[in-house]
Amino acid sequence: MEIKNVLKGSKKVASQYTTWVTFVGLLLLLSILTKGTALRWNSIRNLLIAESVRSFAALGVGMIIITKGIDLSIGYVVCLTASVAASFAQNPDYSSAIYAGHTFPLIIPILAAVAAGGLFGLFNGYLVAYGKLPPFIATLGSMSIAKGLQLIYTKAAVVGSLNQNFKNISQGSVGPIPNLIIYVVIAALVVYVLLKHTRQGTHFYAIGGNAQAARVSGINVERDLMMVYFYAGLLYGTAGTLLASRLGLANSLTANGMELDAIAAVTVGGVSQNGGVGSVGGMMVGVFTMGLINYGMSFLGVDSYYQQLVKGFIIIIAVYFDMKKYARRA
Amino acid sequence: MKKTVAILLVLALVCTGIFAQGSSESSSTVKIGALIRNLNEQFVKDYADNLRKLAADQGVELNLQDAQGDVARQLDQLNTLITQGYKYFVIIPQDTSATEQMAQQIKAAGGGAAFSNIQPSVDALKVGKNFYLASSPELVAGQYQAQIVDEYFTKYPEKAPGKVLNILYLEGQLGHPAQISREAGFIDTLKSLGYTVNFIAKDTADWSPDKAQEKMDTWLAAHQGKFNLVVAQNDGMALGAVESLITNGLVDNDPSDGTILSYPVIGIDATADALNSMDQNKLYATVLQDSVGQSSTAFELAYAMATKGTATGMTAWGIAPAKTVISEAPANDPAVIGQCYLVPFKPVTKENYKELM
Repeated sequence: MEIKNVLKGSKKVASQYTTWVTFVGLLLLLSILTKGTALRWNSIRNLLIAESVRSFAALGVGMIIITKGIDLSIGYVVCLTASVAASFAQNPDYSSAIYAGHTFPLIIPILAAVAAGGLFGLFNGYLVAYGKLPPFIATLGSMSIAKGLQLIYTKAAVVGSLNQNFKNISQGSVGPIPNLIIYVVIAALVVYVLLKHTRQGTHFYAIGGNAQAARVSGINVERDLMMVYFYAGLLYGTAGTLLASRLGLANSLTANGMELDAIAAVTVGGVSQNGGVGSVGGMMVGVFTMGLINYGMSFLGVDSYYQQLVKGFIIIIAVYFDMKKYARRA
Repeated sequence: MKKTVAILLVLALVCTGIFAQGSSESSSTVKIGALIRNLNEQFVKDYADNLRKLAADQGVELNLQDAQGDVARQLDQLNTLITQGYKYFVIIPQDTSATEQMAQQIKAAGGGAAFSNIQPSVDALKVGKNFYLASSPELVAGQYQAQIVDEYFTKYPEKAPGKVLNILYLEGQLGHPAQISREAGFIDTLKSLGYTVNFIAKDTADWSPDKAQEKMDTWLAAHQGKFNLVVAQNDGMALGAVESLITNGLVDNDPSDGTILSYPVIGIDATADALNSMDQNKLYATVLQDSVGQSSTAFELAYAMATKGTATGMTAWGIAPAKTVISEAPANDPAVIGQCYLVPFKPVTKENYKELM
């Protein structure tokens, strides 16, 4: 038993380590293929900015997958929260503004979007934890609800002409470091502390590993499940705010498909679909590995049709090995 | 086993290196970047194909990026190309609202751009003289549809008693600039021609033929006999509607009015499929959105900037910069009207469709 556990432990370390090696290997390979141009600071900065908003989505869904859940509503919830944030940040003299003639303090769009994300999280969490709906179905439903609400709220129009203060949230920088990168670091640290240094974090792992056993050992499974979706919702709300600020707009296409990017990224980063396994480090490496593949192919001018193909294979391979690795546990 | 994953990942990237070999750099050639919103749409794909052809003919190194419908991805691709030293761009923007930001980034790199298909904002063109519109105003497509409708019902007034139009209307993706402007141009023109416009049913089919067909099947069951016209915002959806009318038996087999269907169906784009359908007397009419004209104009502007540093005032693909403002942005602002190249739409009816086949 003892030895088995040690072996299992070392395997986990190795798996995360390999993800890092893969990431660094890709970086080197790309720099060789592009004769170093892809590793200039400007390029790395581009990559970090490009993946920043997805990082928030990945951290959220990463926690959910650790509890053996899934969340398909990410894309449209981020789309909705981005639209909510943007609607409170439009220039008041813009005639098609949702609240034309009104100026709101900068905190309002942020709070409104995070609250909207949080509410959706609670809704998802309630359906999964107390309604006992399979997470796949519950979040499939809420995905459509979020899309509908977004279209109703914006009347399907683009929410544009955002004020400069709001745009600066994402577009500004501290010295050479873009704000977005700072936000990602903060979010990753918060989720890290939550998962590794709070009782609730350990509960998430326990629930994902074996919900029945978790319940027997006195964990309030329903409450903790509800909370994990709530936390994820807050992260999506933040993602929506940052995305609207970065793009200077929100529309019904904003963030569409982000759920698949985020789920793929954390899976590549070693978060197991079987629940109970995963780390913030892994999630972030997963995000940036997928980002690097996207970025590298775009940099090299690879046809977008091939890009989709390569991405698809990578996801399948990652999940295949993930399933194989943990198959024996069941 | 994880090693295998690593090896496969690396292999994947090596492969991408092989796929990408065609675009290896050489500093003496003219470099133009193309940022294209979504290659899954027929019009956009035709546009991109023509760009590739023009670039090959001129020996231009063209780096064409597909944003796959995502504004964020398009901004990332712009960043990537600027890092690689691209300065002059042909752009089909994903969204009007992001164009000013894009123009500012390009200006900061010392370059310029020509925008097509999705309009840039007035502010985007105001960023500098090296930013151009090379596109067809979407309002005009709707206006042509309205004129086609007018001609039909002027010929057959008994089909619209009292000039009342009861329309089944298929919209493109909601919020898409073309969706908004085509609809506005269509309704306004019909009203100015003295028609009463009733939408018996109006909903989005996301530019997609199969969604349009499904929607039409439902509408035909619900509104049988209550409508006299079917209008779609692109040909794909119009052809979906045609299929639905046929499968539901709404066919009079009398091609004398230009269609064997019981009601005329009108689209936009003049795709090859649409022209075929017109040839079979199914689709009644469409409006040509000229992918070759738009892409050639935009390419010539970008090429002039890349080789001469400016394109101000030049004639591109036989089109001179506009002189008088129209009602649709960005060509509605006198300050930037000289930067607008308006590629004409063209109504395609029984009289002229064969010229395009």
